Amino acid sequence: MKNIYKPFKVEIVKIEDHSKDTKLFRLQKEKGNFSVNDQGLVSHPGQFVLISNFGYGEAPFGIASSPFEARYIDIVVRRVGCLTKALHQLKKGDQLFLRGPYGNGFPVDFMSGKDVIMVTGGCGIPPIAALTEYIIEKKWKFGRVYLIYGARTPADLLMKDNLEKWNKDIKVILTVDQPDKNWKGYVGLVSKIVKEIKVDPLDAVAAMCGPGPMIDALEHILRPLGISDRRIFVNMERKMQCGVGKCQHCTVGDKFVCQDGPVFNYDQIDKAWD
Amino acid sequence: MELVIKKSKIKDWLEVLEKDFKIIDARKEVLPPKQHFFPVKEDLFSFNLKSKKLKTIDQSENILLIISSLNKLEAMTQLDEIMEKPQKDFFYWQKRDKSVIVGIVDKSIKVPYGGDLVLEKINQKEYRTWVLNSKGRKLLKDKFFKKVLKPRIINYSKEPSPLKKMLLDSELLAEAVEWSWQSDHKIWEKLAGKCLGCGICTYLCPLCHCFSIEDQVSLDNSKCFRCRQWDACTLPKFSQVAGGPASPSQGGHNFHKTIKERYYNWYYHKFVRAYREYGKAQCVACGACAKNCPAGIKIGNVLKEIVKDYKKR
Repeated sequence: MKNIYKPFKVEIVKIEDHSKDTKLFRLQKEKGNFSVNDQGLVSHPGQFVLISNFGYGEAPFGIASSPFEARYIDIVVRRVGCLTKALHQLKKGDQLFLRGPYGNGFPVDFMSGKDVIMVTGGCGIPPIAALTEYIIEKKWKFGRVYLIYGARTPADLLMKDNLEKWNKDIKVILTVDQPDKNWKGYVGLVSKIVKEIKVDPLDAVAAMCGPGPMIDALEHILRPLGISDRRIFVNMERKMQCGVGKCQHCTVGDKFVCQDGPVFNYDQIDKAWD
Repeated sequence: MELVIKKSKIKDWLEVLEKDFKIIDARKEVLPPKQHFFPVKEDLFSFNLKSKKLKTIDQSENILLIISSLNKLEAMTQLDEIMEKPQKDFFYWQKRDKSVIVGIVDKSIKVPYGGDLVLEKINQKEYRTWVLNSKGRKLLKDKFFKKVLKPRIINYSKEPSPLKKMLLDSELLAEAVEWSWQSDHKIWEKLAGKCLGCGICTYLCPLCHCFSIEDQVSLDNSKCFRCRQWDACTLPKFSQVAGGPASPSQGGHNFHKTIKERYYNWYYHKFVRAYREYGKAQCVACGACAKNCPAGIKIGNVLKEIVKDYKKR
């Protein structure tokens, strides 16, 4: 009988500061690579892993690295609670434990052949980053691709090196609420952004992460573009203890966010979900 | 032909079985039988903080569990099903796989819905045997069980409770409970004012199975135990995460802020989601929640009111 709760050891091989309270951790297995499926994927973009720091607990984190990257898994951690504070004190070479990947991920097969608009804000970037990497790797399969990424200030934008790199293959649109004097991007999730996006609404899909940008993006971008709810996919967050459909913490209505999600069709979820 | 054991011989029979099993008599226990396979609190892993070695804690035991309530026997069958889907819960099955459940029931039985072997009282002196599977068959010892052609059978059956009758139509219950929330039925506001959010109903429920996992570190900081303990969906922090829009003093964003949402969620899980997942409600009408609720809420009455209004709508 498989022990579904048992994590395996990983080593922190790299830590990057991404903002004043957010760090990226690169995790490698003790020996060899992470296992890949028959499509050559370590995870489906949008899936998450459960990270254990024994003594402090276990929590879910979205995978930020490319699904094709088998040598390591990146997670991006904002310091908000006890476990994340403890993670921020770790150094390169320290060990953690990992379970997963879990969840469904974005429906990349349905999305292929279509224009894609990705929208996220703040620390909702990891699953969208994995999806972006997937799309760029399989660029010929997708139409026009946009990433709209918002944050409170320019300093709060995470994965900046990647944003620059991605901008060569897809259109990256950045926006902040409080600009500084060097800021050249947008301010706020404004309707002006819509003018930059050229998609066929009948053949476009949207992928989002995070509750905040979801409502704003719907109102200012996706609705004006004419994208139907059925073509909007949202990566949700909930409290989780087990990650495998047992503990009941992440349930919303008749769905388990850990098993049925974390990616849901916007049409499928109750509009009252926060 | 019935396989019968004398009441006076049950003790001797169990003494023989004691060689192979740790016998737990749960007949008088307040907490439901789930506690023996899914304990109130259990260590899952030990982690040596110096050597960084992770060890799974072996808790497998050959338990023979005696249950007297037919409802609780049925609950164990349902809990087995829950703990099997979508994947086997390792720590539950570690104990459950090697154990047997024996019902010793002082009521007449039409069909036993649970247990491996069930003894049914047929008169003041005798019990007849229901063998439900091979695990149960192995417990039979010729010395104690005799074949009797026509034993004297007295009827001890009682009229099923109104809740038990309502559970026969799980589909109606699922529809009515969901309708009551969507139509903003006044009962939920009333119950929110009454419910203390203490979680006792979930702890005493033989089917509630939510849990939380936390790490506990030894005082000398050398060892850490990862423990799992019962949680309750009615407790304020059940769906609370660190961070988010709430202020730090409130501890972070809470996905189920009010007792009204949380209390309804308990009903929703039992009667709506469970019906969609398993085709039946996760309630066996054992009455433990109603009997022990400090606010005096009776689940049967709540459902009765909802169903009545649902039919009238």
